[in-house]
Amino acid sequence: MYSRVISFRDHVNRMAPSRRDVWIGLFFLVIAIALPFIDNSRSLLSTVILLFIWASIVTQWNLIFGVAGIFSLAQMAVFCIGGYTAAMLSLYFGWSLWFTSILGAFMAVFVSAIIGAATIRLRGAYVALLTLGVAVVMQVMIMSDSNCFYYEGVTCYNFTGGPRGLSSFGDFGFRDWLGYKVSLLAKYYLALLLLVLGTIFVLFIIRGPFGYAFRALRDNDTNARSQGINRVKYQILVFALSGFFTGLSGAFYAGHYKTIGPTMLDFPVLLLLLAMMVIGGLGRPWGPLLGCILLMVIDDFLKIYAEWRYVGMGAITIFFIILLRQGVVGLIEGIWNRGPEFVFESVRHWNRPRPS
Amino acid sequence: MESFLQIVFSGLTLGAMYALSAVGLTLLWGVVGMLNMSQGVMLAIGGYASYSAITYLGLPWPFGLPAAILGGFVTGVVFYYVIVRWMYRSPTFEVGIIIATVGAAIVLESLMIRIFSGYPLDQPFSLPGGFRIGGILLPYQTLVNLFIAGLMTVGLGWVLRRTRFGRAIRATAQHRDAAQLLGVPVAKIYLQVMVMAGIIAAISGVMLTASVANLSPYVGTNPMLKAFFICAIAGLGNIPAAVGASLVLALLEGAIQYSVGGSYGFPAMLALAILVLIWRPYGLFGERTVERS
Repeated sequence: MYSRVISFRDHVNRMAPSRRDVWIGLFFLVIAIALPFIDNSRSLLSTVILLFIWASIVTQWNLIFGVAGIFSLAQMAVFCIGGYTAAMLSLYFGWSLWFTSILGAFMAVFVSAIIGAATIRLRGAYVALLTLGVAVVMQVMIMSDSNCFYYEGVTCYNFTGGPRGLSSFGDFGFRDWLGYKVSLLAKYYLALLLLVLGTIFVLFIIRGPFGYAFRALRDNDTNARSQGINRVKYQILVFALSGFFTGLSGAFYAGHYKTIGPTMLDFPVLLLLLAMMVIGGLGRPWGPLLGCILLMVIDDFLKIYAEWRYVGMGAITIFFIILLRQGVVGLIEGIWNRGPEFVFESVRHWNRPRPS
Repeated sequence: MESFLQIVFSGLTLGAMYALSAVGLTLLWGVVGMLNMSQGVMLAIGGYASYSAITYLGLPWPFGLPAAILGGFVTGVVFYYVIVRWMYRSPTFEVGIIIATVGAAIVLESLMIRIFSGYPLDQPFSLPGGFRIGGILLPYQTLVNLFIAGLMTVGLGWVLRRTRFGRAIRATAQHRDAAQLLGVPVAKIYLQVMVMAGIIAAISGVMLTASVANLSPYVGTNPMLKAFFICAIAGLGNIPAAVGASLVLALLEGAIQYSVGGSYGFPAMLALAILVLIWRPYGLFGERTVERS
């Protein structure tokens, strides 16, 4: 039955996925661009900048974790490689952070590709263990770095900054060009640009031939390989691709806060990002972004009950991983296509015994 | 000679700690295919259960262990009904359960901080003193821990290999659907295994805090992380190999700490784990299992 009147829903459903992405992206972009004109308080802008940084990381992580289905926990390590490379090059060679950020991103690509190569023969939980190991080794090595690399007066500074982290390596220089008031705004738009470029990059990969290869390997490894998809090549590729913008976010983080330290490798940070990805929807192109927004809002709400913050975050993660595996994006899609009954349907679906 | 004894004794103390943490972890992996990121918190729960029974309820010290067993029992039941029950049929269980147990760990850890505060406490259930060999102290508690780790290994091995219950567990681990068709109550097996893992973790937690570590909500985190890598080297799911690897690696860690420097022990172990995993993806003694589809 074709009806003459095409509803908005049908219209959207008939769109090619890439065109739908353009509209969704523009929707978020307009809000993000307009936000400082509505409210330009420092606290809001700083929060949203942090949101942009988290979203940039999670979007790239989703490529490995959700799209390619490789359970890597080394994302924050790659982030720190980018941040530390940029910070150390700027500190020891006096180069501009703009330049070293790019170098940091390429370093992140390199390290990420090596991690990808190291995990080629591993599956599932073993990948998680190895990548977690990489992150823990990195943190322990930085924390326990106590050899003096250079002195300033009598104060001893370590090569990696040790547990204090690195600082005084400069920043993006917005404050000198634009003054104190506008500099935060400039950083806001720079972070937004980073997120937009990263998202476009990921969308092109997901909707393009690489995306099909990654998903084919995720869903049926044997079949994909028998069709001639080279697993070694694509696994290294997905790690390398996701490394670039992750490293760049690390460098931006270092430039924005003018410091970077081993606390970024703490486990709760990883959990926060993991929760964002799970809540948004694993493997969905817009999942990480929605998850970030949602979790930042929830987190802001839970700040009043600071001591319950982690309890709430953990509980929400468990709730989503058990009941809403497709995340918020899956929920919205379900309601969009089948109406609000979808919620009850999916709950009923869960109570039904399923074939395994 | 003295330094050699020092390395061996501190290695044994550490090794016993790792072995205790590794047993429950590798049991859950081998049977349920579950990498339990809450292991560290489950260890802490055992320690706190014993502490509360003795300090708050005023029970005499031998009641510490039964209290911990009760705590572990409750933990296992709660984990089954809140998390595992809903997930074990999912085709992406292996990854999903890691995320879920990470979430559970954070929840329980913050709850313990709320209840007991984060300050380190002394475990009242412990055996003070020790032997003096060549001027170096070998604490009794280390021997107790080694004995308990050995007992758990042998006991679990016996249960899994020789009893009807153990056969049902192994059948479920090998092929869940076939086991169910042959009349194994699969859901009940999962519950029982979770309870077993909870109790083992709780007992280990008491022993752990009775030894070198102080009781705090984070007490299990470090042993858990090390146990992960020990199990990965030994091959997840192989209990005797995990216990053996704990001792060997702890001795190695002690030797590296002594000869190279205190902070290089853990990184060296991790680097070894990473290399072993690249060389042998299923660990040194792990079995290459056929994936369920």
